[in-house]
Amino acid sequence: MPRLGRFRRELRWRFWSVPVEREVDSELAFHLDMRVRELVEQGMSPDDARAAAIERFGDMDRITEACRDLGRRRNEDMRRAEWLTELRDDLRYAVRGLRASPGFTAVALLTLAMGIGASTTIFSVANAVLLRPFPYHRPERIVRLYETTPTSQTFSVSEPNYLDWRQRVRGLSQLAALVGREASLLGDGDPQQLNALAATPSLFPLLGVRPVLGRVFNEDEAKSGAPARVVVLSYAMWQTRFGGDPAIIGRTLNLSGAWYAVIGVLPQHFVFPGNPDLWEPLAPSPGAQRDDHQLAVIGRLAPDVTVGQALDEMRSVARDLAGQYPKTNGDWGANVISLEEWLIGRDLRTRVQALLAAVGLLLLMGCVNVANLLLARATARQREMSVRAALGAGRGRIARQLLTESLVLAMIGAAIGVVLTTLAVPVLRDVGGAAIPRLDELSIDWRVISFGIGASLMTGILFGIAPALQASRADLNDVLRSGGRVAAAGRLRSILIVTSVAMALVLLVGAGLVGRSFERLMRVDYGFRTDGVFAAAVTLPNERYGTRDQRAAFYAEAARRLVATPGVRAVGFTNIAPFSGGNTSISFAAVGRPPATAEEFLSANWRSVSPAYFAAVGVSLKRGRLVAETDRGEAPRVIVISETMARRIWPGADPLGKQITLSGNPTPWTVVGIVGDIRDQVLQQEPAPMMYLSFQQVPWSSMWVLVRATGEPMALAPVVRREIHAIDPLLPVSNERPLSRFVSEIAAAPRFTALIFGLFASAALVLAVVGIYGLVAYGVVQRTREIGVRLALGATPSRIVGGVVRRGLGLAGFGIAIGLWAAYALSRFMQGILYDVTATDAVTYLAVAALLVACASAASILPARRAARLDPVRALRDE
Amino acid sequence: MAEETELLHGTLDTLILKTLSWGPRHGYGIARWIQDTTDDALEIGEGSLYPALYRMERKGWIEAEWGVSETKRDVKFYSLTSQGRARLKLELAQWTRFTAAVSKVLYETR
Repeated sequence: MPRLGRFRRELRWRFWSVPVEREVDSELAFHLDMRVRELVEQGMSPDDARAAAIERFGDMDRITEACRDLGRRRNEDMRRAEWLTELRDDLRYAVRGLRASPGFTAVALLTLAMGIGASTTIFSVANAVLLRPFPYHRPERIVRLYETTPTSQTFSVSEPNYLDWRQRVRGLSQLAALVGREASLLGDGDPQQLNALAATPSLFPLLGVRPVLGRVFNEDEAKSGAPARVVVLSYAMWQTRFGGDPAIIGRTLNLSGAWYAVIGVLPQHFVFPGNPDLWEPLAPSPGAQRDDHQLAVIGRLAPDVTVGQALDEMRSVARDLAGQYPKTNGDWGANVISLEEWLIGRDLRTRVQALLAAVGLLLLMGCVNVANLLLARATARQREMSVRAALGAGRGRIARQLLTESLVLAMIGAAIGVVLTTLAVPVLRDVGGAAIPRLDELSIDWRVISFGIGASLMTGILFGIAPALQASRADLNDVLRSGGRVAAAGRLRSILIVTSVAMALVLLVGAGLVGRSFERLMRVDYGFRTDGVFAAAVTLPNERYGTRDQRAAFYAEAARRLVATPGVRAVGFTNIAPFSGGNTSISFAAVGRPPATAEEFLSANWRSVSPAYFAAVGVSLKRGRLVAETDRGEAPRVIVISETMARRIWPGADPLGKQITLSGNPTPWTVVGIVGDIRDQVLQQEPAPMMYLSFQQVPWSSMWVLVRATGEPMALAPVVRREIHAIDPLLPVSNERPLSRFVSEIAAAPRFTALIFGLFASAALVLAVVGIYGLVAYGVVQRTREIGVRLALGATPSRIVGGVVRRGLGLAGFGIAIGLWAAYALSRFMQGILYDVTATDAVTYLAVAALLVACASAASILPARRAARLDPVRALRDE
Repeated sequence: MAEETELLHGTLDTLILKTLSWGPRHGYGIARWIQDTTDDALEIGEGSLYPALYRMERKGWIEAEWGVSETKRDVKFYSLTSQGRARLKLELAQWTRFTAAVSKVLYETR
């Protein structure tokens, strides 16, 4: 299309408004008339002339139709070309305009990038955790079933109860049971500890999962009490251990000494809690103990049955069973929860939704701020707009042009925001993956991308519409001078800014508290030292290590070999490594003080340890002695207790030589030593009472070996493997890692919280500062005339600066006051996630308030200095 | 139409462009002008003139505006766009080459 003047273009618009039919008709009629005239001038009678002209013209209808058709297509083409030309002009104009004011552009882009980046990042979290469907068939119909006791709503199920449920419950179309299994894979290379699950054959059809290779179990392979030795592999296991070998089906694997045939491989997308490496058939037996609760049970709701109805039915079945088997099922009930509640949890859902709401608010604040900036700019560009209008640009055209500018801004901001998201996502995944369900699969998928694009389009339109509307108003000057509506709009803007400052303060206080709490948590003394300690798990199979002495001999030999390695300072064994996620505890009674009631039974955590355990993890002896090599199976039973336990059980007395009985068993255990407290479950909790038993008197079949050495802990991994395989080449060594990794994993949840709060707070801070800046700058532009008058009347620039800054600080102060009040009011919700910091910590509140005041001052001084530099003469003339 | 005045394919566009290069004209004016200039040797049929005009308008070679005719009627006046001017130049060059080539064959004397 040729580029035409505005005037021509306007004309053509009007021209197009003539329907193409009339255009063609009138043109052809004119032609005909002219021909008739021609012939009449040559001497024909008018009637003859007309007939001759028509004759000469040819097929009138065909020509008319051809022209109309061409005309219609011409109009379409022209409209499209016009639209594209205008768009190109608008885009070029927008980019030129943005480049002309780099300060404004940078600030607006920063705001948008923060808003869109933060919201897209939070959305990606919500997407990974909540929105992404579970990889099962109709996951909303899957439920998890539990037995219940008066104190627990989520107890595992016994085999006979599962079988009875399966027979009686109508509201569930399918039921499946599963239970964890230990399995070590023997064969080529080192033995490997595997994560196995035994499941009833009904599980895979229930989940709607088909194998990619081979088949899954059938009912014959799960005959009651006699499961077949077949396994189905996970995709990851097939790939990593067997290199994706397509001939894997039919191969046999040596699992803990028995041979199993591989019958299938599950698809790659299939995930299941615990990430099992392989599956074996489970055959629940009616002959099993009815009070041995081990099974996890899931079900699929029958068509049209709700979770509530299934729960009612399950409860009534549980009541029937309680009546039938009062001894084992007396107090037991049943519970049904949705798959989502099982795998995500109600609490997490609420938290993620709250995050989404907060981030939506943040995005909205970003829109308001950019709209304010644009308004300030639009007012400054009023003259330019008037000129454009005078040159013939329609109001719609100007509005569209401004909107294009906003969208260009939004798109560039969004692009930066998405880059920020791509930077944040891996960090969040690494930090939160271990602590938050499903977050390990956090990624930027099409949902996240569409959200980012949608959010930026929406923001572009939202923040672009106010300035566009204002600019397209009939007479900007009139509106500005008339005052009323502008003042109202100004008040609205002030309220929004005050709100955003208050919100920023609340978020900053939250972030400050969480940050301080996290810092304290990281410095908490958990009572042992992880530096230089290597940890690995060893499991002794019952077949070869059935007796206490066999086990004790193995651990003693392993310790003897390892401690001989150069650089190794201590080698300890324990059944539970600190922060490894497990715990063992037992009820006990102090001898001489028998409990009157069951409630009076005391309880403490216990660990079975070797003598060198204390040296390996650096737990210090306070009094008496440690567990010794001489505390063998037949020797008198001894315990070493923690200081907390000593204080709790024998306050004011000397615990050494005192005795306890465990779990109602009359054999007494004598206290021989007292050691320092450790925290080994949750960082935030005060140390619990703990007792240490001799590994020779309580030799556990699965132990952690902890090796303290000089140098890098992981360098010990091959040494530990070599030495253990030198004793028994069939033992798997698993979970090899530095002990410090357990501590950092346990800190993952608080670190994630701190990170999220930090992300929010920094975004909120930027938005609040930009908001203040935008509003103050707008105020300065609006009051150019007034400032000019005051300067002309002799006001000093410093007074002008003072006045402007006061306005900015006034708004900020108002926001800060409201924010402080809100943060205080909300503090009780924070206390739950804080450690060693009160939710009303004055230092944090003051620091945050000071930070905001400083930022608000900086944001006000910039436009204030511009105001003071105004040339009074020009300021007055410009109006 | 007489046999000897039949137009070569594509020549009509060139003629219209050339005609409009002298100034805006309405459809009838274009036909008339060509007829007059060629002393009635070339008569442009309406059945090809008007579709050609609409087609060229769509291509952006010419554009139209409403104006008032000498007989005081609202009528579309066509004028050349810069694109049309470029097109005319191109077609004139082609025409010259073509006629030169044809002349060589026709007037070759051995």
